[in-house]
Amino acid sequence: MIIQSIMKRKVITATRKTMIKEALNIMEQNRIRHLPVVNDKNEIIGILSDRDLRDASPSVFGGNNEEVLAKPVGDIMITDVITALPIDFVDEAANVMTENQISCLPVEEDGKLVGIITEKDLLDTFVKLTGVDIPSSRLEVEVANKSGMLSEVAWVVKQYQINIQSVFIYPSEDHAKKILVFRLQSMDIRSLVSTLKDKEYTILWPKDLE
Amino acid sequence: MDKEAAFVFSPEQLNYKFSDEHPFNQKRLLITYDLLKHLNAIDDNQIIPAKMAAEEDLRLIHEKDYIDVVKNAGNGKVRSSYATTYGIGTEDTPVFPKMHEAASWLVGGTLTAVDLVFEHGYKHALNLGGGLHHGFRSKASGFCVYNDSSIAIQYIRNKYHAKVLYVDTDAHHGDGVQWAFYNDPNVCTLSFHEDGRFLFPGTGHVSERGHGDGYGYSFNMPFEAFTEDVSFLSAYKKIFREVVAYFRPDVILTQNGADAHYYDPLTHLCATMNIYNEIPQLAHELAHEYCDGRWIAVGGGGYDIWRVVPRAWAMIWLHMTGQESLISGKLPAAWTKKWREAAETALPPEWFDKPDIYPDIPRKNDINKKNERTAAKALKPILERKNSTDN
Repeated sequence: MIIQSIMKRKVITATRKTMIKEALNIMEQNRIRHLPVVNDKNEIIGILSDRDLRDASPSVFGGNNEEVLAKPVGDIMITDVITALPIDFVDEAANVMTENQISCLPVEEDGKLVGIITEKDLLDTFVKLTGVDIPSSRLEVEVANKSGMLSEVAWVVKQYQINIQSVFIYPSEDHAKKILVFRLQSMDIRSLVSTLKDKEYTILWPKDLE
Repeated sequence: MDKEAAFVFSPEQLNYKFSDEHPFNQKRLLITYDLLKHLNAIDDNQIIPAKMAAEEDLRLIHEKDYIDVVKNAGNGKVRSSYATTYGIGTEDTPVFPKMHEAASWLVGGTLTAVDLVFEHGYKHALNLGGGLHHGFRSKASGFCVYNDSSIAIQYIRNKYHAKVLYVDTDAHHGDGVQWAFYNDPNVCTLSFHEDGRFLFPGTGHVSERGHGDGYGYSFNMPFEAFTEDVSFLSAYKKIFREVVAYFRPDVILTQNGADAHYYDPLTHLCATMNIYNEIPQLAHELAHEYCDGRWIAVGGGGYDIWRVVPRAWAMIWLHMTGQESLISGKLPAAWTKKWREAAETALPPEWFDKPDIYPDIPRKNDINKKNERTAAKALKPILERKNSTDN
């Protein structure tokens, strides 16, 4: 999955000359926390976060409020902007955001701003990938850490004509094992589970009380 | 005659049957009705026949192409695309003859219950054949073809303009009803269920609160797997009371799935009959306190049709009709004797379960703690609002 397929294409922006006061308004009204700053060619020249703005805003202890609020955002914006490309992998973008401790990436193509991706977009994507946005049941199976295991379990699922919504493969605490987590489009997976148990798979979920 | 409560039922509701092996078994309706008969707790004149919902009723929620697909499938005209596009012909909702008619009778029962309360002077009405809360606008899911509760709620909105509080205590999240009214501030949905990490359908997270104008009118209380009575009931009572006081509905519609019981084969909660006694008791009380008595109750899931469902559903009727004194001690011996042969398991001797029907839960304290936290999160917006108006 690449950034292009999950990014927001309608980006709200500011220019270098936008007043801080106005930028604050824009962010509040649109309930956003980041404002890319672009020039007249729609090239990214900086970015503002709500935190940068708050730091620059006048404190309640005084100071000349109007004077600070009337300053252009160009004075306080971050100029070394970290961006993503539309063809970047989603997991790569997530990595960049975690490593740099930032929560948004403007997306650029040929130097122009074409989209934006935030923490929330990544989280929504994660939720979609784990299949929870479609009615489904969870099946967790511990298998030997060797080739062919996913296909063996999936083959059993296929015998029941149950559609697999998603599959995750986690490492197990035991390095000789892997954990397969399926979201299956069925409300009643009892019969499938008992077949897997008959085949001596370790079922981690669903589980009975001992 | 006294119009306190009506019991909606027609034999046609028994025709909603996927196959002999399928866990959704409407024989539950008969066994429950028979238990009430043996208790002398129901008069023939309290039983009101259901009806078959008209297509225009179904259209309040469902898309025309979906209804056509259900009709075709029930008439033997099945296409392979029906399963993927419409969920018809899957393991969960296989095709059966006349499925459109059978599903329409369940919907008609709930619509009849609505009219009895809004037009015919009844305070309460019970349609145990309803409660098919997983049905979507154009997709069958989780054993549900048409969503009687969603249709009934939209029908109430259009015809009686009343504010509806929907309370769902099925062990599975009431997803179909929640999504149907997710944007609607006049319909508040409240679902208590086993957390989606453990159980179908996976949704029903505490953060699902509604959207647009409907934001703040969807509540969810997902329970940890292996949750027991005390923890369940503490969350149920607290949240139901807060939500009803906040929303001030004109009518309460409760979905009474009976599958959170330890014996239920499809779920992983450890409730016993205590919850099925207290769930309708509180609904009854709050309907009188806030809605001039207007309470419509429907059935839902419930896959231990011998040991759990008859007792649980009989309790709804007994509370509804003020006969709760009958809920004590042993079940009628004649009823037990009558069904003993047919039942696949030994029938329970008494109304309530012994505490030792399940082993000790290893993570009991963690589970209770987690449920407490989730309940606090579910109520956060209401409590914050309360605090800010108090100050």
